[in-house]
Amino acid sequence: MIQLADVTKTFDRFPAVNGATMTVPKGAIYGLLGPNGAGKTTLLKLMAGILRQDRGTITVDGDEVWENIEVKRRILFLPDFVYFFPQATIQQMADFYEQVYPSFSRQRFTELRAAFSLDVNKKIHQFSKGMQRQAAFWLAFSVRPDVLIMDEPLDGLDVFVRRHVKQLLIDEVVEREMTVVISSHNLRELEDLCSMVGLMAGGVVQLERDLDELRAGVHKLQLAFRDGFPDELAERLEIVHREVRGSIVILVVRGEKRRVEETVRAFHPLIFDVLSLSLEEIFMYEMGGAAHVCETVVG
Amino acid sequence: MSAKRWSANRAVWTQNLRQISWIAIIHWLLWMAAIVLPIALAYSQYDPKVGNVPQWENVYHISNRFETLIAWLVPILAAAGVLRYMHDKRSADFIHSLPIRRTELLTSQIVFGWLMVAVPLLLTALVAIGCLAGLDLPWPINAADVWRWFGETVTVETVIFAFSIAVGVLVGQSVIHVVLTNILLVFPAGILVLIYTNLSLLLPGFPNDYYLSIDVERLVIPLRYEMLGYRSMEAGEAGGMLLLALLLFGFAIWLYERRPTETAGQAMAFPAFRPLFVYGVAVCSWLLGGFYFGGVESEASWLLFGYLAFSLLGYAIACMVIAKTWRIFRRWKGYVGFVAIMAAALWLIHLDIFGYGQRVPELSEIQQVYFGQSTTNFRHSELIGRSFEEYDQFLRTKDNMKAVRAFHQQLVHDKPRPSRFEQTQPVVIGYVLKDGTRLLRRYDVPVEPYMDHFRRIMESKEYKQQYCILLRPSGYSPIRQVTLRNISTGNTVLVLADPKEIESFIAALKQDLWNEPVKAMLGGGREAQGEIELLQSDGDMFSTAFTTDHTHVRQWLEQRNVWHKIKQ
Repeated sequence: MIQLADVTKTFDRFPAVNGATMTVPKGAIYGLLGPNGAGKTTLLKLMAGILRQDRGTITVDGDEVWENIEVKRRILFLPDFVYFFPQATIQQMADFYEQVYPSFSRQRFTELRAAFSLDVNKKIHQFSKGMQRQAAFWLAFSVRPDVLIMDEPLDGLDVFVRRHVKQLLIDEVVEREMTVVISSHNLRELEDLCSMVGLMAGGVVQLERDLDELRAGVHKLQLAFRDGFPDELAERLEIVHREVRGSIVILVVRGEKRRVEETVRAFHPLIFDVLSLSLEEIFMYEMGGAAHVCETVVG
Repeated sequence: MSAKRWSANRAVWTQNLRQISWIAIIHWLLWMAAIVLPIALAYSQYDPKVGNVPQWENVYHISNRFETLIAWLVPILAAAGVLRYMHDKRSADFIHSLPIRRTELLTSQIVFGWLMVAVPLLLTALVAIGCLAGLDLPWPINAADVWRWFGETVTVETVIFAFSIAVGVLVGQSVIHVVLTNILLVFPAGILVLIYTNLSLLLPGFPNDYYLSIDVERLVIPLRYEMLGYRSMEAGEAGGMLLLALLLFGFAIWLYERRPTETAGQAMAFPAFRPLFVYGVAVCSWLLGGFYFGGVESEASWLLFGYLAFSLLGYAIACMVIAKTWRIFRRWKGYVGFVAIMAAALWLIHLDIFGYGQRVPELSEIQQVYFGQSTTNFRHSELIGRSFEEYDQFLRTKDNMKAVRAFHQQLVHDKPRPSRFEQTQPVVIGYVLKDGTRLLRRYDVPVEPYMDHFRRIMESKEYKQQYCILLRPSGYSPIRQVTLRNISTGNTVLVLADPKEIESFIAALKQDLWNEPVKAMLGGGREAQGEIELLQSDGDMFSTAFTTDHTHVRQWLEQRNVWHKIKQ
C-alpha cells in the first residue's frame, strides 16, 4: 500500500532521512520505532506529502504522494503537536475537515461525541494539552481516512483515554481496513497495537518485521538434561541467548517452532517448556545488529 | 474545477474570513477616514456666505500623505495576512498535509488578499461619489475624479500587494516578510543613489546628481503614488504596472511550487537566497558607509573606516537574521572574502582603467562647452537664462573653449579635495562634441587657488553677456520704472519713471556689470549697498543689489544728490 524506496531528505546539509526504504501493507498497523533524532518525524511528513524528498519515491497504491490530491485525500496526518486554527472550536474544525476531505462522515462525528465528551463549541485553545489531542483524534476518526499517519500520538493521554483510542484505532482497521503508521520512541507503547514494526536509526529503516512472523521465529526454551546440556544440540540450534540457572538452561533460539521442538526432543530432555517472549525480548534477541538502537527503544 | 476541489477552497476562504478579514475592514475604515470623512467635514463646516469649499484639485489633495501611507502599507499587511499560513511552522505542516494543490492554494489566497485590497477601495469610491452627489455643495471634484483615484489606487495597491506576495514566498517569517518588502520597495532608488554617490567619491569628476536627477522617485512605487496628485497615470504606465503585478503573481506561484515547507520560521525560504541576502546587505551597508562618511568627511581614511564599519555591521546583522542567533563569530571567513573582493573592485574603479577621470576632449573635437554650477541645465538647456544671474552657460568662442578645457585639464591633474573650511564652488564642465556625443564632469573646487581659471572664463565677454540679464541682447523688455531702496530699511529712496533718466541709469549699471570682477561674481567680497528694482514693459519685475564695485552707479547717484540717502 505505502511504499518508500531509497528516500532521502536533507535539511541544511544534514540528512535527516538517508535512503530509507519501507513497505506498509494495507490494513496494517505499522509501528515506526527509533530513538530521538532517528528521522521518524521527517519520514512521516514525507509520507504525508508535507515535505518533498530530495531523492527516492513515495507512493500509495503506486501513486506518488507529492502534490497528488487524489492520494492526499485518503491520508490524514496527526502531528506530534496538534494544530488547530487560532480561536477555532471543534465544530468549526469539523466543518473545515468536512469541506476538505470528501470522506468525512458527519454521522461518525456525532457517534464519537459520546466517546470523547468535549464541548464542540468551546475554543480548542482553552482545552488542556490532552484534551486537544483527544479533539484531534475525534476529528481524525471522523475523516475516516484510508491511511492515518500519526507522530507520537499517545503522548499526553491518560491511561483510560489511551486504551480507548487504541480500541477505536483497532476497530477502524478491522472494519474498514484502514492502514495506520504510528511512530514512537517507546516499544511498550505499541506492543499491543502493532502488527508490524520498523526500526529506524540514523535516517534509515534498519529493519522491518511482521510481529506475528517475528514471534513465530524466535522462541524461549527452558530445558534440563540428565547428563548436562549436550554440545551437539547447541550446534544444531541457532542460539541467540543462553543462560544457566542451576541445572536448568534457558535458551532463546531462532527457527520454526515445530523444527525446534523436534530437534530438542531428539535429545530427550528432562524438562522442555516453550515460553512466550515479550516484544521487548524479541527485539533484544532478534535484532542483534541494531542492538544499540533496541536498547533505547526498549528502555 | 470539480465540486470537491471547490469545496476545499471554500473551506480555506471561510477560514480566511474568520482569521484575516479584519484587514479589509481596517483598509476600508482608513480610506473612509482619508477621503469620505474630510468631505463630510467640509459639508458640515460650509458657510454659504463665506463660500468656504475646500480647494481640492483632485482626490489626492484631500489627505495626501495619509493616502500614500494607506496605499503603501495596507497591501503589505494583506499579503502578510494571506501568507501567514506558510510562515508558521505548525500551520505550514497542517495546511500542506491537506489535499489542496499548492498552485490552487496560493492562487486562492492571492485572490482573497486582492479582494481585501480592491473591495474596500470600491466601497470607499462609491460612498465618496454618493457624498459628492448627495451633499449639495459646489464641490471642486466630481465623480470622474473619484473614479480616476479609484483606478490609480487599485493599480498601485495591486502592484505593491503582488510584490509583497512574491517576497513572502521567498522568506520564511512574517516579520522578515514585512520588513524586507518595505526595503525592497525603496531599493531601486536607494541603490542608485548609493552607487552614484560612491562613484563620485572614487572617480573625481563623476557628476552623480546629473544621473540622480532622472526621476528616481518613479522607481519607488509608493513615491509614485504620492506624485499622482500632480502627475496622473497614463494608460501605458497603468498597464505596465498591472502586467508587472501579473508577472509577480506568476513568479510567486512558480516559486511556491518549489518552496520547501520546512523553511517556515527561517529567514529565507530558499537556501540559495541566503548568501544573496547576506552579501546583498553587506554591499548595501558598505555603500551606505561611503555615502555617509563621504558626505561628512573628505579624508580617505575616514571613508575607508566608513566602508569597513558599516559593511561589518550589515554583514553581522544579516548573518544574525539568517542564523537566528547573535552568536555568529565563526562566520568571519565570509566577511574577509567579501572585503577582499570589495577592496579589489574599489581599487579597479579607482585605477580608472577606462580613463573616465582622465578624458579631456581635444579642442578640434569640441563643438561647444558648458560651464556652470548645475548639472541639470546641461540636459535642460531651455532652463538657462531665466534668472537675473545665470552661472550655467554653453560657450562657443575658441577662447572660452580653450579656457574651459584648460581648467578641466588642471582639475584632472589636481583632483582637488577641498576641506570644509575653504570657500568651495561646484564646477560643472560639459562638452558637446562634433560627433554629437556629450561629456559631463563635476568637481568641488576651492575658489582661491583656481581664481585665474575662473577669471579667464567668467570675465570673458561671451560669458558675461549671458551671465547677466541686463547684458543679454534682447534679454529683457524695455524698462518702465526703476526703484532704488535702502538695503537696511527697505524704504524707497528714488523712483525713476522718465525714460531718459532710466536709460542713463541703466547705462551706468551696465557699465558696472561689465566691469564686475570674478570675485564678486562668485559671491566673495561683495557688500550690498542698495537694492535696485526694475519693472519691465511686460509687467515682469526683477531686482538686484548694487555693491561697492558699482562705481558708475554710485557716481550717477552722487550727481543727483541721492547717494547719501541710500547710504543711511
